Amino acid sequence: MSFLVLIPLLPLLGFLINGIGFRRIPKNLVGIIGSAGPVAAFALSVYAFISFQAQGSAPIHVHLFDWITVGTLNIPFAFQIDQLSLLMLLIITGVGSLIHIYSVGYMHHDEGFGKFFAFLNLFLFFMLLLVMGSNFVIMFIGWEGVGLCSYLLIGFWNKNTNYNNAARKAFIMNRIGDLGYLLGIFLIIQQFGAVEYAVVFEKAATMAVDSPAIVAITMLLFVGAMGKSAQIPLYTWLPDAMAGPTPVSALIHAATMVTAGIYMVIRSNVFYSLAPDTLDLIAIVGLATALLGASIGLFQNDIKKVLAYSTVSQLGYMFLGLGVMAYSPSFFHVMTHAFFKALLFLGAGSVIHAMSDEQDIRKMGGLRHKLPVTFATFVVATIAISGIPPFSGFFSKDDILANVYQHSKIMWGLGVLGSVMTSFYMFRLLFLTFFGTFRGTKQQEHHLHESPLSMTLPLVVLAVLSAVGGFLNVPEALFGSMKLSGFMAPLYELAAKANPVAFAHQHLSHTQEYVLMGVSVGAALLAALGAYVVFVVKKSVPAADGQETGLQKLVYNKYYVDEAYDAIFVKSMRTASDLAYSFGEFMIDLVVNGTGKVVKNAAAKLRLLQNGATSFYVFMMVLGITVIMLWNFWIK
Amino acid sequence: MEKMHLPSDFLPIFIQLGLALGFIITTMLVTHSIGPKRNSKLKDEAFECGIPAEGDARTPISVKYFLIAILFVLFDVEVIFMYPWAVNFKSLGWAGFVEMLLFMGLLLAGFYYVIRKGVLKWE
Amino acid sequence: MLPIVLLSVFGIVVLFLGFSKSKNILLPATLLFLLVTLIANFVDWNHQYLYFNDMLWGNNASMVFSGIVLLSAFFVVALTRGFEQEGEAAQPAEYYGIMLFSLVGAIMMISYENLIILFVGVEILSVSIYILTGSDKRNLRSNEAALKYFLMGAFATGIMLFGMALMYGATGSFVISDISEIIGTRAWNEQSQLLYAGLLMLLVGLLFKVSAAPFHFWTPDVYDGAPTIFTAYMSTIVKTAGFAALYRLLAGSLASLQDYWFATLATITVLTLLAGNVTAVYQTSFKRMLAYSSISHAGYLLIALTSLTAKSQSSILFYSLAYSLSTVSAFGVLILVSQQQASNNYDAFNGLAKKNPFLAFVLAVSMLSLAGIPLTAGFMGKLFVFTDAAQKGTIWLLVVAILASAIGIYYYFRVLIAAYFKEGDLATIRIAPFYKVVLIIVTTLTIVLGLFPDLVLQLV
Repeated sequence: MSFLVLIPLLPLLGFLINGIGFRRIPKNLVGIIGSAGPVAAFALSVYAFISFQAQGSAPIHVHLFDWITVGTLNIPFAFQIDQLSLLMLLIITGVGSLIHIYSVGYMHHDEGFGKFFAFLNLFLFFMLLLVMGSNFVIMFIGWEGVGLCSYLLIGFWNKNTNYNNAARKAFIMNRIGDLGYLLGIFLIIQQFGAVEYAVVFEKAATMAVDSPAIVAITMLLFVGAMGKSAQIPLYTWLPDAMAGPTPVSALIHAATMVTAGIYMVIRSNVFYSLAPDTLDLIAIVGLATALLGASIGLFQNDIKKVLAYSTVSQLGYMFLGLGVMAYSPSFFHVMTHAFFKALLFLGAGSVIHAMSDEQDIRKMGGLRHKLPVTFATFVVATIAISGIPPFSGFFSKDDILANVYQHSKIMWGLGVLGSVMTSFYMFRLLFLTFFGTFRGTKQQEHHLHESPLSMTLPLVVLAVLSAVGGFLNVPEALFGSMKLSGFMAPLYELAAKANPVAFAHQHLSHTQEYVLMGVSVGAALLAALGAYVVFVVKKSVPAADGQETGLQKLVYNKYYVDEAYDAIFVKSMRTASDLAYSFGEFMIDLVVNGTGKVVKNAAAKLRLLQNGATSFYVFMMVLGITVIMLWNFWIK
Repeated sequence: MEKMHLPSDFLPIFIQLGLALGFIITTMLVTHSIGPKRNSKLKDEAFECGIPAEGDARTPISVKYFLIAILFVLFDVEVIFMYPWAVNFKSLGWAGFVEMLLFMGLLLAGFYYVIRKGVLKWE
Repeated sequence: MLPIVLLSVFGIVVLFLGFSKSKNILLPATLLFLLVTLIANFVDWNHQYLYFNDMLWGNNASMVFSGIVLLSAFFVVALTRGFEQEGEAAQPAEYYGIMLFSLVGAIMMISYENLIILFVGVEILSVSIYILTGSDKRNLRSNEAALKYFLMGAFATGIMLFGMALMYGATGSFVISDISEIIGTRAWNEQSQLLYAGLLMLLVGLLFKVSAAPFHFWTPDVYDGAPTIFTAYMSTIVKTAGFAALYRLLAGSLASLQDYWFATLATITVLTLLAGNVTAVYQTSFKRMLAYSSISHAGYLLIALTSLTAKSQSSILFYSLAYSLSTVSAFGVLILVSQQQASNNYDAFNGLAKKNPFLAFVLAVSMLSLAGIPLTAGFMGKLFVFTDAAQKGTIWLLVVAILASAIGIYYYFRVLIAAYFKEGDLATIRIAPFYKVVLIIVTTLTIVLGLFPDLVLQLV
């Protein structure tokens, strides 16, 4: 299976060609080279998937070379291909290819075209490394690498200071998470003396439930996931990250990178299944994030900001699912979310493209006539994310909520509340953008046009996937066979052996399931209807900035979380670092300059020994020999 | 049976050394102290053979002299190898002959190099 | 054995090639010869051989050491550009011939089994280097350097020979494995005094060759005076061969006496580290700084030697390789810059990065490697050497070494500051394609070995 190595290498090759040849390769060629890598990687991933199933679905281990060997710790550079990494591979390369093709159209007028493709390819390389690595360290390389690419791409239009600040914010918040992740790896090395998944999990499976080491490791790893997957309290970077070009938001900040945290938790399911306390925390954090994100989304007026908070909220759902050990449903949601959220972002990109870079939905309206393809696909995505059957979002969200219901009824209730909000803000977005009358300037109206084929084609493909993606995992209550869950089941065998109690839960009766589905679908439909009444029938348009009042103002300003962070952390950090700076300035200057002076003086003295006279040199030699002899024969 | 040497066995050597050194040092000291010293310009000159000394003793000599001298040493010493070889010619046999041929070949190569370089040209 | 024969024959061939009208053939011929020898060197891979009545012993380690020497020689020869720049007085055929002959000496020093071969090797190498040092005949400083080196070298050789004689007197053998056997029958503090005196003198002689303090005084003057290309040659080849010889001597025959020589060698190590690093701080000439840097690197290598653990050999080997590569590229850049500026000083590099980003990058990698900054081979080398010291438990030695390398950063970075941050009017320097290729290879190797040191380590 050595062709697996090519999967990450192809995008890397694209990065090298486009990166080194930036400004020298003609634009058309850049697009072809940039897209060829991901497409080829996708083809290879499909082939890998087929051959994986053909040879009996046993995990494949590809050892490339021994990377670090320190004492007894050996960190090989190796890939592990199993159900989880294969599915991730398919999502990353599949959605990635579509977004690359879309970017050819979207970014065509940008002068940094080649740079953009180079970074995008580099991102894919690191993301593939992240999911293919066979140990935590390789995952960490990918983890850091995608963070770097995210930073580079958020600040892609680096002439705008705000964008650069957004990039920095994302990077720093991710660093906080990364620190937790890194500490987690250190703890794993300290506990198990290895980092290879196979070895570590085998050893972990023999440990007791809730042993302190496991709880500490899972907590630290989850801190990493919080940063990367934008959970409370480290979520504020994701909305700001919308400063990047829209395909970046679709690829990195919706479909792939932000789901790395979920991938990591599922990968470490042996750990997490042994730490119920951590799981509870994850569920609470996930639920809180889901509600917070959805509620902020209700009042946002920037088309991309709405989608960003929606992403935060959906990621919250995934963690909620992980928290109740619904690993497969969470992953199912990762998948469907990748389809419809990428579609939403790309659709938004198409709208922004048509509106000459206008992002405020208050200035849009009635676009459905001018952008028919974008509109149609956007509708599909909106229905999908709102959880209305038979589109994909319904199946995955319902799967998670059914599992949550078994865990806690209150959580389920709050989850449904979240999906009501989701449905409302999504339809609000849809109606404000595509219905009613055009509210922008004359110039914009004149310029309105449907996007080129390279942009609409990915939209259509993603729309089809969003529509039918849910059928991969139809619950038994709806006469399905849970194909995806069945496929992923071998991943949890070890965990089930280690903690059988946690996995032994009773199934809901079909009637119960029907009721649950009915409630959530009904609620979502009601919310959609509400949105229709408010924004289509009454034709109300959100107030201009600064005119909101009361609760609305609080929510519109994102609960002032950014301001609070600024006051509590940034300001106090500044003060502390100012203090440390002035003190350090003094002390360090003293020590550094002092040492420097001593060395320089010594050098000035020693230099004089080198006087150029051979006789003196020989004398020094003889002196040296004499001292050696004296010391060895008389003194010692 | 190997013969053991005690430090005392070396005594005659040390006595000999002491006598030799002692004689020289004593003579030098005594001649310096009892001989009369009369310095004059003429007496302090390097040579007293009639013709006054002219110029510096360290005049540059053509490097060719040194080259010739060194080459002479080189090709002279080589003979040292030939004598023992000649004495043991029969017992060394063909192997010895070939080795000597190789050695002479190398030497001749060097000789050819010297001639081509023009070291022996005296103009 | 095979490389020795080949190099001797090739040396003579090169001398005769010098008679042909076109001098252009010399450089490619020499490079070809070196390449052939390099390949021939590894013919006996994984076999051990004893040659010349058991006077030479070849094994994998000695082949890798010889490989390093030959590779460095290859790079340096490639940087000579056929001595076109040196003018009419230059004798390219003789220079190449002598270089090839000197490698014979280096290989003998690396693979000796009998002390006589060590002596002969040292002499062949040294005498060749004396000549090369003085090859710039019309330059007074070159002549002075050659004479100084010769006088002091002769003195050191005398001491070394004396040491060998005393060791023979004590043990009745020149063969190092026999000596080891004879020494092994007695405890370290019950040996004959002759042996002690002998081994100390032998060590002094060899330490002189690798320029360890207090026998290092010749180094700055000689390095400074010699033509730059030959400075590069001797600082890489003599050092590698010298340390290979020292290791073979200490590990192969005197290991059981480590308690005896440890204190002496450790003191010399500290002195070398201090003398090299501290004095280098005050230099204004880049070339002279490299001379002091060569002394300080001898100090680092001595750490591995002093510790003499099971891994010392691979540490020395890796360090020598890393040092040789960085030194070659540093001198490679220096040659070009000093030609343009007619100066070896730091200021000559002012503003190098502006018009010559490639040269500045090569220089930067080389300096980073010499300073031991991670991601370069130099860092890995230092890491291995320090690990040896830690294993032996000599923490104080480690502390001195780390302080010394901190000082090192100061003077290595000075040239980088000049190249990158200072204003200068250095024009674009034309680099011959082949020259450029060599610099690229050396720089790449430095980085690759910094990432994957196992590539070399697994050889031994």
